[in-house]
Amino acid sequence: MKSKKIVMMMLALVLVLATVLTGCGSSNTSSTSGDVIKIGFLGAKTGGHAIFGLGTLTGMKMAVEEVNAAGGILGKQIEIVEEDHGSKQEEMATITQKFVERDKVVAIVGDPTTGGTKTAAPIAQDNKVVLISAGSTGPGVVEIGEYIFRDTLLDSVAAPATMDYVVNEKGWKNVALITSINNDYSVGLSGIFKQATLDKGGKIVIEENIQDGDTDFSAIVTKIKGTNPDVIVFSGYYTEAGLIMKEVRRQGMNDIVMVGGDGLQGEDFYKLGEEAVIGSISYAGFSPEQPTAVTEAFIKKFQEKNDNAMPDLFSAQGYDAVMLIVEAMKKANSVDPVEFHKTLAETSNYEGVSGNITFQANREPLKSPVYLLTVKDAGGKLDFGLLKKVPVK
Amino acid sequence: MELIQQLINGITLGSTYALIALGYTMVYGIVLLINFAHGEIFMFGAFAGLFIVTVLGISNLYLAILGAMVFSMGLGVLIEFIAYRPLRGSTRLSALISAIGVSIFLGSLMVLIRGANVTSFPRKELFTMKNIEFYGLSISNLQIAIILISAILMISLQLFVNYTKIGRAMRATSMDGDASILMGVNQNSIISITFAIGSGLAAAGGVLWGLNFSSIHPYMGLMAGLKAFAAAVLGGIGSIPGAMFGGVFLGVAETLGIAADLSKYKDAFAFAILIIVLLIRPTGLFGRKISKKV
Repeated sequence: MKSKKIVMMMLALVLVLATVLTGCGSSNTSSTSGDVIKIGFLGAKTGGHAIFGLGTLTGMKMAVEEVNAAGGILGKQIEIVEEDHGSKQEEMATITQKFVERDKVVAIVGDPTTGGTKTAAPIAQDNKVVLISAGSTGPGVVEIGEYIFRDTLLDSVAAPATMDYVVNEKGWKNVALITSINNDYSVGLSGIFKQATLDKGGKIVIEENIQDGDTDFSAIVTKIKGTNPDVIVFSGYYTEAGLIMKEVRRQGMNDIVMVGGDGLQGEDFYKLGEEAVIGSISYAGFSPEQPTAVTEAFIKKFQEKNDNAMPDLFSAQGYDAVMLIVEAMKKANSVDPVEFHKTLAETSNYEGVSGNITFQANREPLKSPVYLLTVKDAGGKLDFGLLKKVPVK
Repeated sequence: MELIQQLINGITLGSTYALIALGYTMVYGIVLLINFAHGEIFMFGAFAGLFIVTVLGISNLYLAILGAMVFSMGLGVLIEFIAYRPLRGSTRLSALISAIGVSIFLGSLMVLIRGANVTSFPRKELFTMKNIEFYGLSISNLQIAIILISAILMISLQLFVNYTKIGRAMRATSMDGDASILMGVNQNSIISITFAIGSGLAAAGGVLWGLNFSSIHPYMGLMAGLKAFAAAVLGGIGSIPGAMFGGVFLGVAETLGIAADLSKYKDAFAFAILIIVLLIRPTGLFGRKISKKV
């Protein structure tokens, strides 16, 4: 009996030691003192926002491949650490913690959504790790701290330019505004759209609320129909947007179109909405049409790697995010975020593949031009195409 | 006019809730188990319909519904056999936990098979949409079809339960399980039939749901299942007409809530009504009085 107990104790001891030892081993290999610089990818590969995350990751991988092929930075190769938060807000903080504590990344690219960035940014800031969101456009992001950046066209710049076109050039003055209330981005953007509509001389005839994940929009569309608006402005994401437009057409409003932020720009918008979304308007800091030389080179490379698919906004911004980090590291001659976050903040007139990028004194990006996009039917295949280039004043 | 339009929207939504609620109420009536996996059977039914149309290439609404029903009947019986039957003699709590486990398993299984994204449901292949306009109302033939198909299914169920031998056995088991065994009712097969019918109705609800909202996803069963469960409790769990009424009532209440500018509270609405009704009538609107046997 006694000997059995001792054997069990020994076994337990061995197990504990084994865990401790292997634990040590892995933490040694993942420190940044080696010749690898780690950049974390924070985004969704599955779930409702997967298209944003997957696009960003594709762009990041291209940038990293290019930099590594050219010898890396300061003699070190870059490695992307990937995680999938499945579009779940509660997973984002856990993954960010893992990036800074276990993987010891020097920078994080993500999350593509404003809500996700706001969840992750305080963790990055506290641990002095640079975070660039290649998608967030809502308010209250870079205010979190001097390590937090984004390379997107801001809604506060783009939405007024868009509503100027909608209200004054198109003459659609009566606006129905729909907000997804469990979505930070949508709530913020609705405020901007509302202000912009009023500033440009339009009128909000009805304000309605939905939630991300809803599928039944029959009741709100019936209500909207009763107010006879000229245009529907929706500040949420593509999944709900496509379904709303489908319901709008089902209830017999055949001419009205949807205007929204870059949240509309996911493939599912036309997959779910089909012909109901033709003519819908959105904006972007990126369009593959009428490209600059830099953008043209990027598109060519992207197509070679991705079966001739066109890059989207998120792949372009994901690419730029990595390149901005690399530029800043070169300028600072350091891969330590405590050093290179300063040079990153000094970025001025950087010619990115998603447009010209300047970080203002408050670290908010200024991008020019704004591209107005519209869904076009190209021989049975729906896609966003360029409607108008609007230079930023 | 807008109110009538909203009523029709509500009845359409409510009839799918009712179809799902029937499964909860029937199973509860027979085995006193709240089958929390029922929402996932509804979801699998919707995906079975999608599979029939897109993979098998059968573009017929009725065949799609029928196929989905048959598939889900099998699934329901299988779940009962694997996850509930071995626990028949144990406490009701263990069967309930088993049901929650099955629910999570089925939801995750579908994510593994199809991914967690929203999938477009092939409405165009199954149904030619037409709007019927009169007096400023615009009702689609799809809404009418959904209401009619649900009504036919529910009436057939009522006839089946009230006028067939199996139906009588089901009612007997529900009234007093032990006594019905003594009267020669095969309890196991009655329970299997109950699961099959409930699951079949949920599958029909799933296909109609996909058709109505033109999209389905692996977690659709969660909220729809909860609401249908609320509908079943509202109508009086165990009561078949109660579940039908409860479903339609919740659907209409939810829609009218939105019409009354309460869209922020859409999901809270269903459950607020449930709480109020239960405070006033603890057995639900159509519930039998619970008399404790001593």
